[in-house]
Amino acid sequence: MKLAIVVQRYGADISGGAELHARYIAERLAKHADVEVLTTCARDYITWKNELPAGEDTVNGIRVRRFPVSRPRRPDDFGRRSARVFEHRHSVREELGWLTSEGPTSPAMIRYIRRQRLAFDFFVFFSFRYYHAWHGIRAVPDKAVLVPTAERDPAAGVSIFGPVLRGARALMYNSLEERAMLDAVSGRRGPGVVVGVGSDVPPRTDPQRFRRKYRLRRPFSVYIGRIDENKGCRELFDYFPRYAARYPRGLDLVLIGSRHLEIPDHPRVRHLGYLPDQDKYDALAAADLLIMPSPFESLSMVALEAWAMGKPVLANGRCDVLRGQCVRSRGGLYYETFDEFAEAMYMLEGSGPVGAFLGRSGRDFYRRHYAWPVIERKYLDMFQRLSREPPAGGIEPLPGFFARHAHNLPPARDVVDAAPKGPVLG
Amino acid sequence: MGDVTVRSDSVDVEQIMEQIRARIREKRGADYTEAELHQLATTNLRKFLDPKGVRSDLVEHFRKGRKPAEWANYEFGETTLYESHRAFVRTMRKLLRPVLKLFFNPDPIVSALHIQSQLNTEILRESLRYELVHNLVVELTRASIELQNVKMRVESLSSRLDFDERRARSLESVVEYRQPPRRRETAPEPGPQDQPQPGQAAPAAGEGGQQAGAEDREGGARRRRRRRRRRPGSTLAESGAEGQPAPAPHLTQAEPATAPEEPDTSASEHSAGADHAESPRVAEPPATHEPAAAPESPAPDSTPPPPEDDAPRRDDSGGGGQDGGAQNQ
Repeated sequence: MKLAIVVQRYGADISGGAELHARYIAERLAKHADVEVLTTCARDYITWKNELPAGEDTVNGIRVRRFPVSRPRRPDDFGRRSARVFEHRHSVREELGWLTSEGPTSPAMIRYIRRQRLAFDFFVFFSFRYYHAWHGIRAVPDKAVLVPTAERDPAAGVSIFGPVLRGARALMYNSLEERAMLDAVSGRRGPGVVVGVGSDVPPRTDPQRFRRKYRLRRPFSVYIGRIDENKGCRELFDYFPRYAARYPRGLDLVLIGSRHLEIPDHPRVRHLGYLPDQDKYDALAAADLLIMPSPFESLSMVALEAWAMGKPVLANGRCDVLRGQCVRSRGGLYYETFDEFAEAMYMLEGSGPVGAFLGRSGRDFYRRHYAWPVIERKYLDMFQRLSREPPAGGIEPLPGFFARHAHNLPPARDVVDAAPKGPVLG
Repeated sequence: MGDVTVRSDSVDVEQIMEQIRARIREKRGADYTEAELHQLATTNLRKFLDPKGVRSDLVEHFRKGRKPAEWANYEFGETTLYESHRAFVRTMRKLLRPVLKLFFNPDPIVSALHIQSQLNTEILRESLRYELVHNLVVELTRASIELQNVKMRVESLSSRLDFDERRARSLESVVEYRQPPRRRETAPEPGPQDQPQPGQAAPAAGEGGQQAGAEDREGGARRRRRRRRRRPGSTLAESGAEGQPAPAPHLTQAEPATAPEEPDTSASEHSAGADHAESPRVAEPPATHEPAAAPESPAPDSTPPPPEDDAPRRDDSGGGGQDGGAQNQ
C-alpha cells in the first residue's frame, strides 16, 4: 500500500499541532505502508513564505516532496476577506477568494497530486481549511482521506467546504465533538472514525533534573504551547495573578513555548522558552498539572501527553473538545470563570487527592484510546474498509457562474453557531 | 464549607465541578452569576445610566416647545421665488415668469420647498416631544436597572443571611461545652475561706435556682475578683496572700446559664480517672439542673477534691482537675 500524506508544512522542527500530528502519523504508518509526504516549502504559517528548498527531502526516514508556494499570504488581505466571509452575507466567489488568500497556494502540488493519483492508494489530507486540502480532495476525491483537525471557528461554516467534507472517502476525526460539529455543518454521512493521535512519551523522565536545571523549587503548573492570545493565554495571564494573590502558597506557573504575547512580570510566572522534547516531558513529570487555556482545539496533543504521564489537566471549559475529553477521560477539570479556575487549581495541587485520581484516570484513558497500536489499527482498518468498498458518487461540482456570484450565503459564523454545542458525553 | 470528596473507584469530573461550584457559591454568598456581572458591567457603560444626562425640567421644556418656533424657518408660497422688496424687480419677474417657465418648471421646486417649510415646523415641534419620550424611556430604563440591582442585592443579602444562619446552626450543633477556667482556680482553696461572704447566696441545697440568680447578679463582682487573681506570674497562693477574697464553695458549681441541657450520664466514668481537661464533653453536676436531687449532695458540692487527685493536674493544665473534682459528686 502506498500512501501520500498531504500537509501544509512538514519538518522535524515544525511544531504546529496539525503538522506534528501529520508527522507522527506518517512515521507510524511508514511501518505498514510506503509513505510519501507532500508539502510546501513554507515554514512560517502566517506568511507561507518559501523557506525550505523545493524537491525531495527525507525527514526521520520519511520521503518528503516539497512544492513552492506561488504567493505568500498577505495577512491584511486575508483578514479583510475573513471578516467578509465570516460576518456578512457573501457569495461563493468571495469564499474562493478567501481560500486562495488563506493559502498556502501551491498549484504545483495540486498538479502533482492530479498527475500521480494512480501512484498512490490513498491521499491523507491534513487540515480541511487550507488550500491544499480543498483543491487536493477535489483532485482525487475517490482516494481522499481527510484528517480535518477542525476547531469550532467560523472557517468550519464556509460553504465551499461542504462538498469537500461530503466528498472525501473517509474522515479521521480527532474527537467526538469535532465529528458532531462537522457532520452538522456539512451533512456528511460517509465513513469516519474518531482517531486522534498518540504521543512519543519517553519511558523515563527525570523531574528532579528539570527542577535543578531551571531552578524551580516550588510546586508548579505548566503550560506548553504557543504563548498566544488565540491559545487563551491572555485570559490565563489575567487569571493567574489573581489566583496567586488568593493562594500565596499555591502553584507557580511555568510557560514553555514561543512567545507571541506579553507575559506578565510576576514572581510566580516563569517563561522558559522553547525546550527540547526531553525537557518538555521532564517538565510535565515535575508539574502538578497541565493548564490548557485554549478555547479552540480539535485535539490537544499536549493534554494527551500529560494524561499519558499521569498528570491531570485543567482545561478551558469553553472548548467543547477539551471539556468533553476531561469529562470522558476523568482526567482533568475545566473552568469557565476565574473562581472555577482558582478553585480547580487549588484542588489539583499535588498535595490533594483529586489530582492523583484524575491523573490515574487520564493515563487509563490515554492507554485505551490514544496508544499508538490503537491509532495505527484504526487507520489500517479504515484503509482496508475503503479498499473493499467502492467509492461513492464523487464530489459535487462548483456552482455555475451566476450562482457563484450570488450573495446568498449566510455568515460562516452563524452556520457554526447553529451547529450542536457542548461536549459529547453520551 | 463542604470539602470535595472523591472516591478512587468513581471519579466523576462533572460531580467534582459541581462541588467546586458549590464551594464558590458558599464562599461568595451566591449573589451574582458571571452572566449577571457581565450584564451589569456592560450596562454601566451605557450613557443613560448617568443621571446628569437627564433633564429634570422636561415638562416645562415641553410646554415651551408647544409654542411656535422662533428660529428662522421660512414661509414658502407660489410667489416666494419671485418676490423682492423692489417693486420694479418684482414686476419684471412677474412679467418674465412665463419666459422662465420655458426653460424649466419651477413648480416642483416651489412645492418641495413649501413642504420642507412645513416639515421644519413640525420637526421643531416634534423635537421636544421626542426628547420628552426619550428621556422618559431613559428614566424608566434607569429605574428598572436600579430595581434589578436592588433586587440582586436583596437576594445576595438574603442568601448570605441564610448562609450565616446555617453556619450558626451547624456551629451550635457541634459546640462543645468546656468549664470556664475560673473553676480551676477556685478549687484548691478550700477551708474556711470557702464560706459564703456576707450578702452572697448561701450554697444550700435546694436553692439551685436562687443560687443561679445570685450568681448572675454577682457575676460581675466575681469576674472582677478573678481578673485580679489572674495576674501573670501570680499563683493562687499569692492571690490568697494578697488578701483577695477566696471564692465561695458554690462557685465551684457550673453556672446554669452555661450548662448543657442534659446532664452527662457518664459523669462517673469521667470521675473515675478520665482526663477531663481533654474531654470534649463535660458532664454537669445534676444539682445545678435538678434542684430536687441537689439536697443529696450539698457537702461534696462544696468540698474540693482530694489533693492527691487535684494537685498534679493543676500543675499540668492549670486547673483541669477541678472539673473532675466537680464531677466526683
